[in-house]
Amino acid sequence: MKRGLLGFLLVSHVALATAAGEATGDPWMVLQKAAQAARELSYQGVFVYQSGTGSRSVQITHMNYGQGEYARIVVLDGTPREVLSQGRDVVIFSPRNEKVVIEKRRGQNMFPAVLPSNLDAIKTSYDVKFGGLERIGGRDGQMVILSPKDKFRYTYKFWADREYGLLLKSMSTNERNEPMEQFAFNQLTLMNSQKMDWFQPNVSPEKQYVMEESGTGRSEPVSTITWSVDQLPSGYRKVDEITRLVPGKPGPVTQIVYSDGLASVSLFIEPLLKGAAPKVGHSAFGATHFYANVLEGHQVVVVGEVPEATVTQIANTIHFKK
Amino acid sequence: MKDQVSALVDEELSLEDAEYLYTAIRSSETLSDSWTTYHLIGDCMRGSPIFKADLTDRIMQQLEQEPVVLAPKAKKAAYKTPTLWSVAASVAAVMFVGWMVLQQQVQTHGESAPAEIAQNVASEYLLAHQSMAPSNSAYYIQPASYSESDK
Repeated sequence: MKRGLLGFLLVSHVALATAAGEATGDPWMVLQKAAQAARELSYQGVFVYQSGTGSRSVQITHMNYGQGEYARIVVLDGTPREVLSQGRDVVIFSPRNEKVVIEKRRGQNMFPAVLPSNLDAIKTSYDVKFGGLERIGGRDGQMVILSPKDKFRYTYKFWADREYGLLLKSMSTNERNEPMEQFAFNQLTLMNSQKMDWFQPNVSPEKQYVMEESGTGRSEPVSTITWSVDQLPSGYRKVDEITRLVPGKPGPVTQIVYSDGLASVSLFIEPLLKGAAPKVGHSAFGATHFYANVLEGHQVVVVGEVPEATVTQIANTIHFKK
Repeated sequence: MKDQVSALVDEELSLEDAEYLYTAIRSSETLSDSWTTYHLIGDCMRGSPIFKADLTDRIMQQLEQEPVVLAPKAKKAAYKTPTLWSVAASVAAVMFVGWMVLQQQVQTHGESAPAEIAQNVASEYLLAHQSMAPSNSAYYIQPASYSESDK
């Protein structure tokens, strides 16, 4: 598989080079290749993540020599967070005061592997076109633009390395063309060594290591009332549903996650307890929009890295079946 | 030395070859701590069933068994506070609490006025969203609760 990909990369590189800088072919193929390269190549680099006014430098080491994916992510600015992943298993080490909390997660798509392996879902909601060539972190990046077909998602721009196929940069912008979230490599190299000595957390022996508190786990749904979202914005489909405890909430909360392949939105529904102040209104935080509403004695909160229209429509078209 | 402890945990180093290390671990408190830590992390990464929901309980049990340090704190320079002052303070506190309760009552009565989402409330939902969303790099890099405290 890896050989095949390398061969494919080489051939396509030659094809691109002969086109003298002009992007030819199918831009979807460039994205497909980027999705594959992020998972199948072994690379090391530093990228900067920007959202709102905040920014963080992150070091990533990713290895795949046919025995599955291994990655280590170290946040270099601010709180020294560390993430180790093996296949779909992810372990997060985050220092909190005198302790280091260990969290276990299921895998999520993380830069540069932000694109899903199957682009079909994205194709129904976005139009694709080539942008220009740009130099990023000392490498040549071919820009591919995904424009939303409606108002329910942001525009995404991806810069794919012309040689490796890997994403060098990604950026989402809102309808006013303001940047929402951005990832960009400062430096990126392919790894030659198969040594695994980097795959271990940086442990400080003077700190106490504890597993995260249980409570975010799944539990039995308490509400017997069923409900549905009557007008889910097109392209979004349900990818997950859990009943969980949210910190600071006495009772369990139902969370449903919707995704269009790139953007995702969470819907929280909980019975409104007596005496609890109902939350109603809209707010925004970086790329994230919130919309809260009270419907038939339930507190509804919708959160996602999506335009205001998406969270508003989901929250306002919930229909309770009695 | 710690690297060797790590290697021993990962079975890269056989116990026979590391007899001296084992002795060293037993004699040094720091090393013995790293020994347990490396095991904890290793077990955690391998998905050992030991680290299930009851871990908190076991930690709590251990905490209870730990001796309580009863060392007296150094006394601050003692000066006499007039009793009147403390009475006045109590009255003020009661008044303040009463005022707070009144304020809250006023707020909950005005149900028609929608309360805006406070940032701290929003961050709970944001964190829950980030941890579940299929593509959310922000959770690994800068989760909601941290960005709040950074401000």
